[in-house]
Amino acid sequence: MTPIINRLSSTLVSLTPNQIRLILLLISLALFLLGAGAPESSGNPGG
Amino acid sequence: MILMSALLLGLLAGSCRAKVRGYHPIYPDLSWPWLVGIAFIPQFLAFHLEPSREICPDWLASGALVGSQIILLVFAWVNRKITGFHLLGAGLSLNLLVIALNGGLMPISPETVMKLAPGAPAHSWQTGQRLWAGKDIVLPVVNTHFWVLSDHLLLPSWFPYHVAFSIGDILIALGAFWALWMVGNPASSNLKMARQTVGNNPGYGD
Repeated sequence: MTPIINRLSSTLVSLTPNQIRLILLLISLALFLLGAGAPESSGNPGG
Repeated sequence: MILMSALLLGLLAGSCRAKVRGYHPIYPDLSWPWLVGIAFIPQFLAFHLEPSREICPDWLASGALVGSQIILLVFAWVNRKITGFHLLGAGLSLNLLVIALNGGLMPISPETVMKLAPGAPAHSWQTGQRLWAGKDIVLPVVNTHFWVLSDHLLLPSWFPYHVAFSIGDILIALGAFWALWMVGNPASSNLKMARQTVGNNPGYGD
């Protein structure tokens, strides 16, 4: 587990501002799409 | 899934466009991105998290949906200068309008439900009730305000994924695609905004 955390930590530290903006944009757009759109899929019956 | 496809396609298309034109993709600085997270929490509890969505009463689900979408509208407004966000805001406004005028949930007609899931058990949905504990409520067309803005559009029957969606959903998908497509455009407002905020940062554009 520790190597994974270390790797993740070093990756996060090495991110450029542009990459951080990309991550923020993608997360925000994904949540926006989930929250703002209301498409109903046929996969929902029964929960 | 249909909305997420727009996101992935936009990211792919925008990155390819930037590469073809020889520019580094440049992403806009969002204002108040935390607002989206706050807006999504009530919807997550009311519609996505299995234990809570099963016990969530309709009045609370509709309150969660309307309240959450109002917060998202604020987010779209504060970021309206970013390319594509005016379409995101317009689509959300249309969805919010029809939801608010029909009791707080997105209306869908019984005819659309039957086309959407012809094999669904007859007792799995009822007119006047929430559809499958989701964001939709089954309402006859004659009882629906602004029916044209409701979930009445369907993908072609030959398409493997069946989904009902609204005109607002189309605008939202287009807005997300456009926002990501424009990262490859050197003349876009995204680029100008990023330049203003980043200045001489050496990591810019990597």
